[in-house]
Amino acid sequence: MSMNFSEFKRLLGADPRNRDPEFLRARASSAEFEKEAAEADRLEALLDRAVSLPVPEELMAEIRSIPQRRTGPRRRAWPLAMAAGLLIAVGAAGLIWQMNPSWGSVEDYVADHYRHDGAALLARADGEVADEVQSLLAEFDVEALPALAGIIGVIKYCPTPDGKGVHMVLNSERGLVTVIYMPDTPVTDRKAITFDDREALLVALKSGSAAIIGSPQQRISDLYALIQGSIVPIPGTT
Amino acid sequence: MTNEADRQARFDELASAYGTDLYRFAMWLCGDDALAKDLVQETYLRAWKALDKLKDRGAAKSWLITILRREYARTFERKVPKFTDVDAVVVPEDSELEPDDRVEVDMLRRSILTLPPKYREPLLLQVVMGYSCAEISRELGVSKSAVMTQLFRAREQLKARLQKDGVTGNVHELF
Repeated sequence: MSMNFSEFKRLLGADPRNRDPEFLRARASSAEFEKEAAEADRLEALLDRAVSLPVPEELMAEIRSIPQRRTGPRRRAWPLAMAAGLLIAVGAAGLIWQMNPSWGSVEDYVADHYRHDGAALLARADGEVADEVQSLLAEFDVEALPALAGIIGVIKYCPTPDGKGVHMVLNSERGLVTVIYMPDTPVTDRKAITFDDREALLVALKSGSAAIIGSPQQRISDLYALIQGSIVPIPGTT
Repeated sequence: MTNEADRQARFDELASAYGTDLYRFAMWLCGDDALAKDLVQETYLRAWKALDKLKDRGAAKSWLITILRREYARTFERKVPKFTDVDAVVVPEDSELEPDDRVEVDMLRRSILTLPPKYREPLLLQVVMGYSCAEISRELGVSKSAVMTQLFRAREQLKARLQKDGVTGNVHELF
């Protein structure tokens, strides 16, 4: 059976240099297919030129000199040695935390996660992260609408009960507020949690869920609508 | 040839064969020249240390790419690297290109930088590193079908962005 145009376009878009005999036969089967293939070839030629960035002249010499070096590139031994002990301790603690099997519920996870690095990230919430926001969220086929994206001061990947998620700190009108995005974790919408001196509110999103975490004085429930309406699927991904 | 000289020769071979493509791959991945150079050097440093473990020379490219991707992931865990100004990534001078072509290539470069990572990385593995869909599937640990979809969508997004930013209403007229 001959290949239909839709399937041909899909294969062409995936690999214009496909040498599969059936694909090549389809390519030459009609003017419509040939035109599509020719356009793909032109895009590919442009793409080849676009990715061919010049390589720094000194790079190859630096690579070839690696066997003669006693230490790694741009590394200083003693600060590394000093840091190593600390890193091992912190890394081990982090690893143990990330592998924590004791999250019996989303509520346990939210509290445990916040205790792990919530305060540390609040302290770093003065960054310019606009460029990273959409890039990180796109991995989960969602995006932050401007009302939210514009107030994110810290964003990083983090573990969730069901795989990777995103930890954000917002510079909101209520002060610094933490939001954890969980792409694959179902929650009871609007469920409130309290732990230590914090309050959290779970939010069911169109794609995934989130936890808003702050102090009782911040009245984080007022941020429900912002979070619920501002983390949305990227059009065309669902 | 002594054992050490043989090691050095093998290492030089890896540097010549893949150094350029690895730098370009790293550059498109992280968008930062200094970080890209560090990633490539760190990759080759690890490769030098573990060279004796590389038994199959045919697997060298995927071995190096895997090392580089892991190094990049470590950087990513420490701090999400920011793309530098696109103009710093995109090299304006390309004397071999006609002015019109230069505009198109420049637009395409900017569009590549704005692709979501899950589309950008497989596309770069294919276009920069010459990987097949099956090889990308193995490297990224996703199904071949998913890779094909990602590559298709990557190219569709590039076309759509060229159309949006382009000089004509029909992207096909650009090509």
